[in-house]
Amino acid sequence: MMGGTAGYLASRLVTTVLIVFGAMLLLFSLSVIVPGDPATALIGPQATAAYKAQVIAEMGLDQPVHIRLVRFFSAVLAGDLGTDALTGRRVATVVGSVLPYTFLLTFLAIGLAVLIGVPLGCFAATNRGSVFDHVLAFISVAFIAIPSFVIAIFLLLIFTIWLDWLPVLGTGTAGDFVDQAKRTILPTVALALGWIGFIARLVRSSMLEVMGEPHIRTMRAYGIAPWLITYKYALKNAAIPTIAILGMGVGRLLGGAVLVEIVFARPGLGRLIYDAISARNYPVLQGAVLVVVLVFVITNLIVDLSYSAIDPRIRTQAGREALPR
Amino acid sequence: MNPLVTIRGLCVDAATSAGTAHLLRGVDLDIGRGRIVGVVGESGSGKTTLASALLRLLPANISRISGEIRFDGEDLLTLDSAAMSALRGTRIAMIFQDPMTALNPLFTIGTHLVDVQQRGTAGLSRRDALTRAEAMLTTVGIPDPKRRLSAYPHQLSGGMRQRVMIAMALLVEPDLLLADEPTTALDATVEAQIVQLLSDLRKDFAGSILFISHHLGLVAELCDDLCVMYAGTVVETGPVAEVLAQPKHPYTAALLACEIDDGDTGRLTSIAGEVPSALSTPPGCVFASRCSHRVPLCDHAPPPFEQLGTRGTACLRHRDLAS
Ligand SMILES: Nc1ncnc2c1ncn2[C@@H]1O[C@H](COP(=O)(O)OP(=O)(O)OP(=O)(O)O)[C@@H](O)[C@H]1O
Ligand SMILES: [Mg+2]
Repeated sequence: MMGGTAGYLASRLVTTVLIVFGAMLLLFSLSVIVPGDPATALIGPQATAAYKAQVIAEMGLDQPVHIRLVRFFSAVLAGDLGTDALTGRRVATVVGSVLPYTFLLTFLAIGLAVLIGVPLGCFAATNRGSVFDHVLAFISVAFIAIPSFVIAIFLLLIFTIWLDWLPVLGTGTAGDFVDQAKRTILPTVALALGWIGFIARLVRSSMLEVMGEPHIRTMRAYGIAPWLITYKYALKNAAIPTIAILGMGVGRLLGGAVLVEIVFARPGLGRLIYDAISARNYPVLQGAVLVVVLVFVITNLIVDLSYSAIDPRIRTQAGREALPR
Repeated sequence: MNPLVTIRGLCVDAATSAGTAHLLRGVDLDIGRGRIVGVVGESGSGKTTLASALLRLLPANISRISGEIRFDGEDLLTLDSAAMSALRGTRIAMIFQDPMTALNPLFTIGTHLVDVQQRGTAGLSRRDALTRAEAMLTTVGIPDPKRRLSAYPHQLSGGMRQRVMIAMALLVEPDLLLADEPTTALDATVEAQIVQLLSDLRKDFAGSILFISHHLGLVAELCDDLCVMYAGTVVETGPVAEVLAQPKHPYTAALLACEIDDGDTGRLTSIAGEVPSALSTPPGCVFASRCSHRVPLCDHAPPPFEQLGTRGTACLRHRDLAS
């Protein structure tokens, strides 16, 4: 049983590493394939030929492709993401400075979505067809459909401009925890609402499926309290599809919260990537995307491992990919 | 002493896309205290519906339940849902047909057995509940019970799981145990072991058992009383030995013939003709269309269920047939 788990872990680690290498390869080819050389893009067409040659040499662009590939890989593996050609700062530093804001927002938003979406979904499933169920379905679909930056703009209008309850722009004064926390509320809510709706729908449908299973009928036949049946016995069965979606959610929010970051004037990975693309700042783009990929694959690795923590049948037959039905 | 359960005129209908299905069409049945009542009938005759009605755990599309189910004098059909729920897992317990799906795959045997006990006995500690569960697993013949408590359902065989279900039922010390084809999903050797176990447990179990089966031979071996069902009705009841020796209803007689023809498998094979669909309501006796003793009167009205001492039957002609 232990051997199975270890083997499973090893095979998952190998895939994870392969995915990261694939992403690195793609990012590298980006700088080779995209028309117009990165140096010109960076310093502009007016620069002198001598300066241009110097920048090209600095960026290592005068080397043959395979040398550049090897250099890129060995640098990244050594933790060196290169130098921001615009500012001369280390890319690792640039990415590292925005990472905490992105992590905070992503995990708060997903956490909030779980905290609210799971009970809502359970309640809707156990009160199927009730007014609450219908209203929740409507609101969920609405929040899933409305882009989070639109929600962000409305929140900003309502809570900052009309009600004047919360300051919003920026991340707050350094060191002032309360101020920083206050400024995190609205962006978190803006990102979370759609995910709350999504998780509520998902938990509802998984719960409905589980609630029809014979083992739940056993619990009912033995008079086990309905809340215990729902939140202990059924919810654990319904957790696996939900957790799979959470992994996706983290990935989406890591690099995809750009518009919300812009609305609330917050730094973040999404915004960094967006700015790097507009400025054709390839080193920063490569570094930021690589970090997104890395966090995403690690999250999904954790997600995969959590399945076997939940389901003992996966533990004993670990290594096999499919979930038993 | 009055019977533990008295069922009178129990009708259960379900709404389906094809119309109203009559799952039970006026069932009369007594379950005596401490008796094992065997219920036999072909597939679709309403055996599971009868057991589910006793727990009031019927499918969601049920459109009507009428009649009465007196359990120790109290009509279960008029109880509010809290009072009904209070009886489940305390005075009434159930064993299901398919042990492979009756336990939650994500929880250990121990968790299942502790929760059903703690629900009935306030203040019972987990530790004490586990100790009782371990003793009960030994009683139902599970080797190495301590280890089994921390096992998950998929780590046990079908026979072992059914033993766990029996242990679960016995742990709550019910007055009425409903066993819905507890051996049908198991292979023949395991089936024999489970039947042996049930008959061994009889000595210590004071409650009544409703034992549902396809298998007339099994019922003859295990039960005190017999109840023969056909198309949502009870056609004959009485002490097992008497009914089998001298059936009063032509359907019971036909079943016995099948059982003998059929030898080994013991399952009910078909009698010529078809069971009327649950969606239709024949004007007279539900068995008339397949009955070799049918007379015109049989098609006029459903025959009344007649009780004669310990025997009961729903056949107009049972007197003629006896002679
Ligand atoms: N929810 C339902 N809706 C409509 N019809 C149903 C429903 N449940 C059962 N039936 C029908 O009612 C009849 C009785 O079903 P029931 O499950 O009680 O039979 P059974 O005697 O237990 O059969 P088996 O031996 O196959 O378990 C069958 O014809 C069945 O198809
Ligand atoms: Mg059945």
